[in-house]
Amino acid sequence: MKFAYYPGCSGEGTSTEYEASTRAVCRALGLEFAEIEDWNCCGSTPAHAMDTVLSGALGARNLMLAGRAGAGGVVTPCPSCLSNLKMARHRMRAPEFKARVDELLDAPTPAREDGSADLPDTFSVLQVLLEEVGLEAIATRVTNSLEGLKVATYYGCLMSRPAEIMKFDDPENPTAMDKIMSALGAEVVPFPLKTECCGAAMGVALKEVTSSLSGRILASAKAFGADAVVTACPLCHMNLDLRQGQAGRATGIAFDMPVFYYTQLMALAFGLPAASLKLEKLAVSPGPVLKKLADCRAEKARVAAEAKQAQAESAARPAESHEAGGAAS
Amino acid sequence: MKIGVFVCHCGSNIEATVDTAAVAKMALGYPDVAFATDSMYTCSEPGQEGIVQAIREHGLDGVVVASCSPRMHEPTFRRTVERAGLNRYMFEMANIREHVSWIGKDREANTNKAAELVRLAVEKLRRDRPLHAKQFDVTKRVLVIGGGVAGIQAALDAAEGGVEVVMVERESTIGGKMAKLDKTFPTIDCSSCVLSPKMVDVAQNPNITLYAYAEVESISGFVGNFTVTIRRKATYVDWSLCTGCGSCTEKCPSRHTPDAFNEKVGETTAINIPFPQAIPKKAVINAEHCRKLKSGKCGVCAKVCPTGAIRYDMQDELVTEQVGAIIAATGYDFMDWTVLGEYGGGRLPDVVTSLQYERMMSASGPTGGHIHRPSDGREPKKVVFIQCVGSRDRSIDRPYCSGFCCMYTAKQAILTRDHIPDSQAFVFYMDIRAPGKMYDEFTRRAIEEYGVNYVRGRVSAIQPAMRPDGSMGYIVRGADTLLGQQVEVDADLVVLAVGIEGSRGAGHLAETLRISYDKYGFFMERHVKLAPVETNTAGVYLAGVCQGAKDIPASVAQGSAAAAKVLSLFSKPKLENDPQISVVDIKRCVGCGKCIRVCPYQAIKETVIRGETKAEVVETVCQGCGLCTATCPQGAIQVAHFTDNQILAEVNALCLS
Amino acid sequence: MSVLTGKELRIVGFLCNWCSYGGADTAGTARAAQPTDLRIIRVPCSGRVNPLFVLKALMHGADGVLVSGCHPRDCHYSSGNFYARRRLEMLKDFLPIVGIDPERFEYTWVSASEGQRWKEVVTSFTDRIHRLGPAPRWADIKPRYDLPFNQPEKLLEPIRPLGCGENPSLGELKQAIRDALAAKPGADGRKLEGVLGWKRGFDAVHAEPVFMQTPEDVDELVWGPFNVHNLANFLPQYKGRKIGVVVKGCDSKGLIELLAEDLIKRDDVVIFGMGCNGTVSESRIRARLPENAVIEAARGQGATLVVSASGQDFELPMKDLAQDKCRQCVKPNALVSDRFVGRPVTEPEAPADDRSGALRFLDDLTLEERMGFWKGQMERCIRCYACRSACPMCVCRDHCVSDSRDPQWLTQDDDVLQKMFFQLIHAQHLAGRCTGCGECQRACPMGIPVFALKQQFSRMIKNVFGYAAGMDPTATPPLLTYQVEEPNIKERELS
Repeated sequence: MKFAYYPGCSGEGTSTEYEASTRAVCRALGLEFAEIEDWNCCGSTPAHAMDTVLSGALGARNLMLAGRAGAGGVVTPCPSCLSNLKMARHRMRAPEFKARVDELLDAPTPAREDGSADLPDTFSVLQVLLEEVGLEAIATRVTNSLEGLKVATYYGCLMSRPAEIMKFDDPENPTAMDKIMSALGAEVVPFPLKTECCGAAMGVALKEVTSSLSGRILASAKAFGADAVVTACPLCHMNLDLRQGQAGRATGIAFDMPVFYYTQLMALAFGLPAASLKLEKLAVSPGPVLKKLADCRAEKARVAAEAKQAQAESAARPAESHEAGGAAS
Repeated sequence: MKIGVFVCHCGSNIEATVDTAAVAKMALGYPDVAFATDSMYTCSEPGQEGIVQAIREHGLDGVVVASCSPRMHEPTFRRTVERAGLNRYMFEMANIREHVSWIGKDREANTNKAAELVRLAVEKLRRDRPLHAKQFDVTKRVLVIGGGVAGIQAALDAAEGGVEVVMVERESTIGGKMAKLDKTFPTIDCSSCVLSPKMVDVAQNPNITLYAYAEVESISGFVGNFTVTIRRKATYVDWSLCTGCGSCTEKCPSRHTPDAFNEKVGETTAINIPFPQAIPKKAVINAEHCRKLKSGKCGVCAKVCPTGAIRYDMQDELVTEQVGAIIAATGYDFMDWTVLGEYGGGRLPDVVTSLQYERMMSASGPTGGHIHRPSDGREPKKVVFIQCVGSRDRSIDRPYCSGFCCMYTAKQAILTRDHIPDSQAFVFYMDIRAPGKMYDEFTRRAIEEYGVNYVRGRVSAIQPAMRPDGSMGYIVRGADTLLGQQVEVDADLVVLAVGIEGSRGAGHLAETLRISYDKYGFFMERHVKLAPVETNTAGVYLAGVCQGAKDIPASVAQGSAAAAKVLSLFSKPKLENDPQISVVDIKRCVGCGKCIRVCPYQAIKETVIRGETKAEVVETVCQGCGLCTATCPQGAIQVAHFTDNQILAEVNALCLS
Repeated sequence: MSVLTGKELRIVGFLCNWCSYGGADTAGTARAAQPTDLRIIRVPCSGRVNPLFVLKALMHGADGVLVSGCHPRDCHYSSGNFYARRRLEMLKDFLPIVGIDPERFEYTWVSASEGQRWKEVVTSFTDRIHRLGPAPRWADIKPRYDLPFNQPEKLLEPIRPLGCGENPSLGELKQAIRDALAAKPGADGRKLEGVLGWKRGFDAVHAEPVFMQTPEDVDELVWGPFNVHNLANFLPQYKGRKIGVVVKGCDSKGLIELLAEDLIKRDDVVIFGMGCNGTVSESRIRARLPENAVIEAARGQGATLVVSASGQDFELPMKDLAQDKCRQCVKPNALVSDRFVGRPVTEPEAPADDRSGALRFLDDLTLEERMGFWKGQMERCIRCYACRSACPMCVCRDHCVSDSRDPQWLTQDDDVLQKMFFQLIHAQHLAGRCTGCGECQRACPMGIPVFALKQQFSRMIKNVFGYAAGMDPTATPPLLTYQVEEPNIKERELS
């Protein structure tokens, strides 16, 4: 299927590291997407709660543009964009809803025979990586294994829910990122709060709520022995990373828990240039964790070198070893 | 022919949306109708008397009653016309209640429709002929499928009444779910103390033949004369030699076999006797885990068996039994609660089902009656019970109440406090349903005497949480809808009151029995209120939870009721057939044999009449389905009361006029 | 009595007593509001529903017909609904050929516990019928009388060379028959009583059946393009007697189907076969001669028939004269025989499109045009029942339902609907049994293309069951059997 790419507003602002690493990883795996030309907001503004028609129109316009460009599907890294674009398409199946949306648009959306809107579906980059590329191809691309790194995978509330709209992964116990992290060599800790609320958009209105909810997630990850949290959502990332200090004050635990985008760790494992990782954008320094990884790798290399040395030595004394073998028997 | 038409008001049930007087008036214009009236309650005594009077006064040859479904009152009115001297089959019903007045409010449309349905009935009646039943022999033996408490009660009562009983039980012992219970509500008496004597009675009653570890393979025939094929599954032990001594289970090296009787709490041996009071107390080898059967290496049980009963080459065996009636008492199973991801989807070791918990509390269970949680063997101090897990939950298509969970949850909470005095018990519930005798008092005791914390609300998530001491806790998060706030309990163990559904394989059995079942696997009774143990297939009865959720007393009562039905069926020396069966017009039959090919009952055979091959119906075997009539090209075989001409007359009445 | 004008349409339901009627009761008990149009006829089992009831209703004014029974595997009588499923599926596929929208008929399964489902079924079916509107009535439809597919330039090109020359093996065939008649009684102690064949008819372009018992009778035997009759037709009346029969490929299929249905016994028949080069349609010869010409002689010259009529010779190519069925015949040699004489004719590949000219024409018409077509054609019917008499599979003989009062499927009114309905009965009775000999149509003195109705069933039977009648004497016709899982019938979950 030909996909069109929808970066979303976070990718242009608060989560440029997500955007950069996503593009780099996709390119490395041979996925080329054309960005939707003249894309607009996905509808995730307050409109999505206040005016579903307006929200639907914002989403539908993007989908219509993608469809016009010949795309069979749209991909986006942001779960919030995913949710809104999918929901817009879902609502546009009703001819009455479509009619109301069409009034707001410059041109009516294309229609199917049954009166529903003919718009392409939207998929997360995560889903495309898993289903179009596959774990095997991802594992093959790994040059710097993440062995030794313990991660808690945090999906947030939107990535697989509502299940009947998203149709991807388990809504209560998603495993897509777990599988990818395992393919990179990392160890995934049994983390129970994968889909818990991070406090989301309450960060401004009710800061305390966000702090305590995010704190809880970080506390659980820490208790289960994670070195780092991995996420796929810009808003979750902001709450867990940028606001980690607030979360710490709310729970009384001093966190020092780096929070990565899963694409950053993929880029790291693939050995992609540092520019595409933008690790410097993270608020909580990943330094200690990266050092742990480097130590691990060095140790592994040392062990491998020793083994190689031993092998070379034994190869140099074939007769001896043969004799020894014979004596032992 | 003179026909009388009686249009029933059914109080206001019909009259409210159908102008019954107008229908009666229209009926007077139909061919052969000599009398028509409307009446308040036609099925009541004065209503029936009115029919008898009219037949006598007007010399009627047949009667149409327009009222409720014939599935309800056809037998009633047939007796009525018979009382007045008519043949009982000179009667037709128009269903103007279930099919008209109850499904629409448009009085004009309903009245018109009711009149048309009366017209159909009149057209059909004009072509009815008096029919006379034939008598046939009945095999006075009953098959009881399922050896839970309902089946046991049915078998004992039938056997006590002098009827031979064949009992088929899928597991290697009878006792069903009740045998797995530790205590029963509301008396907290020991379940096996109550049940075991009954199980022993089954084994000792000379009128009962028990096939344990067996399943019904197929059933043919009809009421009075069923032929049942039973598959006796291979046990790999010759039960005629096995004494149940248990030497084999002591020595068996395959000690990691999941213990089905203990609901997989703990492990057992590949050769096994489920529990000490098992009936029959015989060993069975689990072929999936037996080393000898898997790899050919072992054979320890054969060596230690003092009677040489082990047979590794045993095969399934089919046996045939003749019976005249069948009681289905197949009970229930739990729905697959692992679809509920919010409760861990089966991944969390200390989230158990109530029946698993029952085994954990039972003195004969794998922990000897000491409650240890599965993950680390610690004694739980905080136990949370969640009710309605997969009951009353439309979001996962489980809209119904499983009936007995409220009560056993209260019981388990009480027992928890008994077993572990310093424990706390929490129950999350939607409503407490305790309508039985002493039931509400029982739940009050749990709350008031035992201090069980009842929280009215649903649980949204069970999340494992590492405690500072390194032990694993489970945060149970839910809503307290009475206080209107969120609650969280840090639990050691969570017990789910999982909703029930029909026993696994119930649908397949229903198809074998030719009875209806719903999508949850419960069998359908003939009438929800008035025939709760009968089914639509004559001679097949229901007992226990297979028909719908019920507790032990209700299951026992229904077992007795089903046995009483069988005894009354067998009290007559012979049975009468339904004479609405196929009849061959010898003149028209060309002997092509197509009817013989399709008859599901082999009720048609070839015969030679004056040198010509013809079809002949065996009257007591034919069940009147009419498949032959639809198959015969020359229309030479006609099923009485549903003849081609009768159905054509109905079609013509609707379409031609 | 009539439906409420403007409010209701005429919808007839056939419901089995045990499941769907109970489901409708359950819906009523639950006060599940439903449209009022449906009138329910209670039957013991969906297997009781003769598809002809449905046709009767649809032909006579019903706007929709719904049949509902127990779910597959849940039949109160164990297998009635399995038969119903096959028969009703075939009926649904058949309807368009007579101009009835198949959407007007539906069958489904509702159990006694499924009150809610019943409500949904009734509501959605009634909505569907209202969407379709009142069904076109036969009385109102415009008849059409043309038969364009019969025009010389529209005839289908034969898929193999057809001929009408002398068959050099005829002498050998005659000798074989003489020998068989003269032979002593066989192992079963029975002697051959006679052999069915053809002799010259009343003129040079007609043959007629002959029952040969003496060597002199055998001298009269002819073989050629005029041997149109399917002699298998006569066999059931000789059941139990030992007789012989000469067959073409198509005749042998009829014979095989009679064997499959146990209507004749293999031991009773001695079969003589020869390869067939095609037979002619008498009306096509007539059409190429001057009006009222008197035929004096005819002789075959390869692929040309030379007819002398009123003192003049007419050279008529076989491809202009052949019957439609011969044009697409892929089985010209007897499929079963005790004695096959001469060389078998080369069998052609089955064409990708094996539809007859009539079916191709009908397929291109709209539903209403098809209804008009049959109305126009059946107006010519004189109810002579030659179609029935010529059909080797019409086993009812003197007990045909067309002449019966009990059951009375037809009236004797001179009414085009009654005439048409007989054709529907004939087609329905032949569904899965018709071997495609086309004798019904050949025998029709009015030239009504009634064969097309049977061909519609045959192609649907082939699509769904992969079955063709008359190929295997051990096969069971598909509507007289069932499979628990029908791979090619989708579950009808109407709601």
